Amino acid sequence: MPEWYSHPFFLLLPTAFFTLAIFSFLYKDNPMFKLAEHVFAGLSAGYYFGLIWQSVIRQQVWMPLTQDGQWSVLIPGVLGLLMFARFFPRIGWTTRLPLAFVIGSTAGIMFIQQLHGMVLPQVGRTLLPLDSLRNILIIVGVLTTLIYFYFSKPHTGTLGWIASVGIGFIMVAFGAHFGYTVMARVSLLIGRVQFLLVDWLGVAR
Amino acid sequence: MNIIAHPKSRPDVVPVNPGVRSVRGALDSRFRGNDDRGVKAFWECGGLLSVAEQAFIGLITVVLTMHLVLPCIASGDGQFAGVFRIERINALVLSVVFGAAVLWYIAQARRGAKMYIRPIPGLSAVDEAVGRATEMGRPVVFIPGTGDLDEIQTIAGLSILGRVARVTARYNTPLRVPVLYPLPMAAAQETVREAYLDEGVEHQDPETVQYVAGESFSYSARVGGIMMRERPGAAIYMGLFTAESLLIAEVGQSTGAIQIAGTAAPDQLPFFIAACDYVLIGEELYAASAYLSGDPKILGSLKGQDLMKIVITVIVLAGVLAITFGQNPEWLTTIFEAK
Amino acid sequence: MKSRLPVLVAFISGALMILAFFGRGTVVDAVSDRALTWQTIVGGFSLLLGAVSIARVHWKKVATKHEDRLYSLCLLICFIVMGGSGVINGIGSGTLFDTLFQRIQAPMMSTMFSVLAFFIASAAYRAFRARSVSSAILLVAAVLVMLGRIPMGQYIYHGLPSWADWIMTVPSMAVQRGILIGAALGAASMSLRIILGIERTYLGRG
Repeated sequence: MPEWYSHPFFLLLPTAFFTLAIFSFLYKDNPMFKLAEHVFAGLSAGYYFGLIWQSVIRQQVWMPLTQDGQWSVLIPGVLGLLMFARFFPRIGWTTRLPLAFVIGSTAGIMFIQQLHGMVLPQVGRTLLPLDSLRNILIIVGVLTTLIYFYFSKPHTGTLGWIASVGIGFIMVAFGAHFGYTVMARVSLLIGRVQFLLVDWLGVAR
Repeated sequence: MNIIAHPKSRPDVVPVNPGVRSVRGALDSRFRGNDDRGVKAFWECGGLLSVAEQAFIGLITVVLTMHLVLPCIASGDGQFAGVFRIERINALVLSVVFGAAVLWYIAQARRGAKMYIRPIPGLSAVDEAVGRATEMGRPVVFIPGTGDLDEIQTIAGLSILGRVARVTARYNTPLRVPVLYPLPMAAAQETVREAYLDEGVEHQDPETVQYVAGESFSYSARVGGIMMRERPGAAIYMGLFTAESLLIAEVGQSTGAIQIAGTAAPDQLPFFIAACDYVLIGEELYAASAYLSGDPKILGSLKGQDLMKIVITVIVLAGVLAITFGQNPEWLTTIFEAK
Repeated sequence: MKSRLPVLVAFISGALMILAFFGRGTVVDAVSDRALTWQTIVGGFSLLLGAVSIARVHWKKVATKHEDRLYSLCLLICFIVMGGSGVINGIGSGTLFDTLFQRIQAPMMSTMFSVLAFFIASAAYRAFRARSVSSAILLVAAVLVMLGRIPMGQYIYHGLPSWADWIMTVPSMAVQRGILIGAALGAASMSLRIILGIERTYLGRG
């Protein structure tokens, strides 16, 4: 292998090319970005395919079936195959069965998870003594935000006033989160610029 | 919610003309039409409670029996003692109260009680956005979030997709639904196909609902590319979003599309508010399907949610007073522990 | 049958999950554990549908000599090489699958993520330009938190970091809690509607 090939400039050339190609999208749509976009989509779809093939189809279906004789995996296997029934008009409706199974079980899990894992602890944490401005603001913030989501009556009169206090709190929170995230995103950008200038071109330290 | 940006503030937004207003009126009535034929005959017995609701109450009864009755019977030899998670009794009580509140209002809706739901600006804007895309001859892009089908927000997004697809089918407006994972893609294809069939249209275009990528950043890049080239008239984002929310919404903004977003992920809401014309916050996402369907039964379930909000408010106020002026009872905080 | 059975399947699988939550060591518990694995397996099979979707969309462009055919061909080649190498040679470190991920895909992911820095700036500009009380509140909170989180903030006013911290831990946290409680009620209600067969739009039915 020629020596020049092992230089970081050439070793990192593909990575740098695709990095610049994606940044070029900030200017406007162009063939370089279009190429990067399609390569990116193809690779990540392939990545997901390989990952799920190995971790689900092979490890959770094929191996238990052939090595451990777990015939029960045939049930989800058949349900999974029913997804392809859509290509056969006569039995096309059966494609809804695996979807109904997944959506139904998700609904069952979520019903409990949201009430037990979300409502109970969040309400519990709001039970604070009225002994500081901090606690009072937290209680007022939680309740007015909750009342903002009240659907059964128009937001007029007292309800409207409470809801507008709620929206004030919501705007403070959103602004705060926006400001909080800006710095994190800027540090990510600095990381990519460092890759281009330091790792690839070696023009800065 | 239309707090920050508004289409009128953008020079590239074409004002909606009277022709579209009539389309909008048609869309409005369509959205609010009660169109749940099909499974009605079996699943709804026509009485106060459906078969499913009776079965659900039966289920809760079984759980209550497991919790309360059997342990009492078994108190002698402890045969059943290990079978029941008695520490989850708080979740059971909450589930029963919540289920009862929702079922009560659904039963009221069946009896014909009027269900008022306040207008939600982001949802009123859905038909305007589709009408505008129809008038401009541009597609509607719908993104049902970037979560898999094991997320309830994805399912909420798919429900809204069903309503939007009926309208795009009716007015022959091109619809683009790029999806991140294959399972929501399968569900979205089924939803769109049935919605088109309901409008008497046989749907065949594989590009309408397409699997784009298995990873969220490549998905954002691909969706960005699709939007820049197809320049949609309306872009609707409903479901679970993570960091890619702003990547998608900013590109959509640059194309001049009317943008409506809805998510229950609090972290992403500030970015949608900055980039979109209308935003559905948190619970409004789940209310969207009810609002768009106009189905009294679904609207009734929203009333049940509202009753729970009142119950929670009263509990919080009572609990706060008890803790402030009482002896800080430990039992009060342990009631709300998730075990 | 075509409509009833899916609704019945959704009801049984949802109800089973609720029942299992309250039981311990029961048959229902075991079945619900297995149901979660089954959910993953069903999702795994949908992967092939995804592959069919990609192939149909992009092969059509290649076959019809669409102007984007070369890009589509590129996408298909990348998909086949990455996916194929994962299926044939595995996904462990040192494989072609891993190398392509580390050398090409992961840097592209980081780059796309970093693009957010530009987008957040343009979104902020637009949001803050809107003249309303709401946007003014949003702007003030954002600026305070942003300045409080950078070293320069301390030089402007020494109390800024603690102000930023207070905003994050008091009003911001209270709102997060309010949104989470409301969203949880909405999600639970939607789940109940699905289990009871009232919400069927996911099957294409209102």
